[in-house]
Amino acid sequence: MWIKDRHMWMVFVLPGVILLVLVLGWPAITSILYSFETEQAGDAAYTLANYKSLLKDPFFSTTFWNTTVFVFFSVALHMILGLAVAMVLNSALPAKPMFRVIALLPWVVPDVVAGIIWKWMYDPIYGALNDLLIKIGLLNNPIEWLSNPKLAMTSAILVNLWRGFPFVMLILLAGLQSIPRHLYEAAAIDGAPKLQQFIHITLPGLKKMIVVALALDIVWEVRRFGLIQAMTQGGPGVLTEVLSTYTYKQYFKFFRFEYASAISVVMTIVLLLVSLPYIWMISQEE
Amino acid sequence: MKKIFTISVFMAVIIIVFSFNSAMAEQVTLRFSDWHLTEDVWNKSLNEGMDIFHKQYPNIKVVLEPVSYGEKETKYTVESAAGRAPDVFHVHAFSLPMFFGKGFAKDLTPFIEKEGSGFLDAWYPLPIKLMKHNGKMHAMPGDYMTMVLFYNTNMFKACGLDPDKPPKTTDEFLAYAKKLTRDTNGDGKVDQWGFGTVGAKSPGFSMRFGPFLWSFGADYLTPDMKRSALDTPEAKEAFAFFVELYTKHKVVPPGLTAMNPQEVRTQLAQKKVAMIMGSGWTPPIVNKINPDLNAFEVLQCAPAPVKRKQATAIWLSSWVMSPSTKHPNEAWQLMKFITSKDIELKWFVDNRVTSSRKDVSGVAPEILNDKFASVMASQLPYGKVEPQIKQWPEIMDTFTTSLQEAIVGMKSPEKALSEAHERINAILAR
Repeated sequence: MWIKDRHMWMVFVLPGVILLVLVLGWPAITSILYSFETEQAGDAAYTLANYKSLLKDPFFSTTFWNTTVFVFFSVALHMILGLAVAMVLNSALPAKPMFRVIALLPWVVPDVVAGIIWKWMYDPIYGALNDLLIKIGLLNNPIEWLSNPKLAMTSAILVNLWRGFPFVMLILLAGLQSIPRHLYEAAAIDGAPKLQQFIHITLPGLKKMIVVALALDIVWEVRRFGLIQAMTQGGPGVLTEVLSTYTYKQYFKFFRFEYASAISVVMTIVLLLVSLPYIWMISQEE
Repeated sequence: MKKIFTISVFMAVIIIVFSFNSAMAEQVTLRFSDWHLTEDVWNKSLNEGMDIFHKQYPNIKVVLEPVSYGEKETKYTVESAAGRAPDVFHVHAFSLPMFFGKGFAKDLTPFIEKEGSGFLDAWYPLPIKLMKHNGKMHAMPGDYMTMVLFYNTNMFKACGLDPDKPPKTTDEFLAYAKKLTRDTNGDGKVDQWGFGTVGAKSPGFSMRFGPFLWSFGADYLTPDMKRSALDTPEAKEAFAFFVELYTKHKVVPPGLTAMNPQEVRTQLAQKKVAMIMGSGWTPPIVNKINPDLNAFEVLQCAPAPVKRKQATAIWLSSWVMSPSTKHPNEAWQLMKFITSKDIELKWFVDNRVTSSRKDVSGVAPEILNDKFASVMASQLPYGKVEPQIKQWPEIMDTFTTSLQEAIVGMKSPEKALSEAHERINAILAR
């Protein structure tokens, strides 16, 4: 045998490594190099001009803030609703499998499709939401959900809540099912109320799952694109413009490849920082 | 004898295989991409056109690649950068500078020179001028139309307005829009609006806003295209007029900043609005959305309302050959075919889009006698094209952002326009 057994793993790993380098590494390096180029300077010159422009770009700072708000509230609401639904589905519920499927449905709807559906739901003339709220007497006149500056971001976050909570729910449900029943039984015998059981058994039991769900959800929400692009295209003004839509616009609408690459690099650094606790946790386990 | 028979069969098989291979080798496949392929009416028409092409050029097989209207630039940019763009594709004329700048459009001069002098004389001069980059033809012109005011004659009649006397001035237009905005079912709430327009960050916005801006005597940029021209009193007046249609006069339906062209056409098709800005594509699309409206009968069109001077926006599309095409000669045959006189007339008959060829739009009775096309053709002398500079999409996005801020009341029209002016200057100075 020309390869020793202890080196055999390389043969199996190599195709995957090559594929990863080609599919992820090469575009990433190209993008980083692009971010140091400028349209005017030509390929040979590498400068920090794009990063300096980013610091002065008022739209970028607004977009960064919008992304923070969007991600913070989306993730927080995903966690709250996801945990609540997971606990309901973990209880002795009749027809549990059916409810689990129903709860998962929003998650299987593609981002753009969800955006288009909700854009029509929110429509002030034809929208089902206004119609429903008027019929049950909660509204007198239709609300401009996506055009009202005070409501546009909230409306986008609400749709994202609907679309994204099942993922968190799924992870936390798996965590809930791994908590031994006897802990609750012992607590009940000792007379601990449900809230105490939740604080001292459920939450500690879910700690790792919560970190996983948080890390993955934050990364996904920072990258969220189709939903906002389909609903508001960043408007009104730049009230719902987030980093992903701004990068897309710079790259594909304005053809500013170099500047868009700089935004992507900043986004990647932020995402890496956010992912650190998750990476640390995984490495600790190993 | 048996041996001879075996050898003969063997030879015959070889000849057949070689003939087949040689025939296969001559067969060329071209990729053709157009956003119209996603539209029912156009899709049928383009497929019929390609059937004719296949009969004329049996050695060329054309594979159709649909792309959505909003994503065409994205698709072609990525594919061009990777050297895998369709052999022939369709874009707005105002997207061309970006494609030219990145080297994503093949120089067509050698093909045009082979066609002989005078080949381009069949087209109007302006479209030809806009297809040039560094003095050389890098694209062929396609649809060439003006934006006009479409209105529902039945809704005019219901409000006591004479459909044969559409609004001519912006003052009349506002008066008409106010009259057409009303509560039709008596529940105390407005359910019909005078004017529907695009307010979203869409390529269709500038086509609808430009006629107002230019008619007020203003412009986006200075003539040398080096600076913003939005600080003039005329620009401020036009901007305020457009914003106040929504904020003050309330003749535009709610949700304006989220409205794309198709949603506005849906409002016209569903009789929610009585007037919109549109062009040749409007009647067939509205008819498709709501056949019960009987759009070809009920709709009528008129020149864009005038404030100080007659002006409108010109819609011009263009056909681009990818520099990475492996079959440039066949791709040119396809481009020549889709821009030929007969086929351009077919595009009009099927889709109501007028041609950039003057030997079609200027002479064809089908166009000259059409109630919509005749109005659009009459406006060509007053038509303006959007600036053909690579910063244009970014400038328009900046402008639309400010307009939206004024529409939703985040900023006064003066402040929003002033900010747009400064930002556009910063973009141009970069």
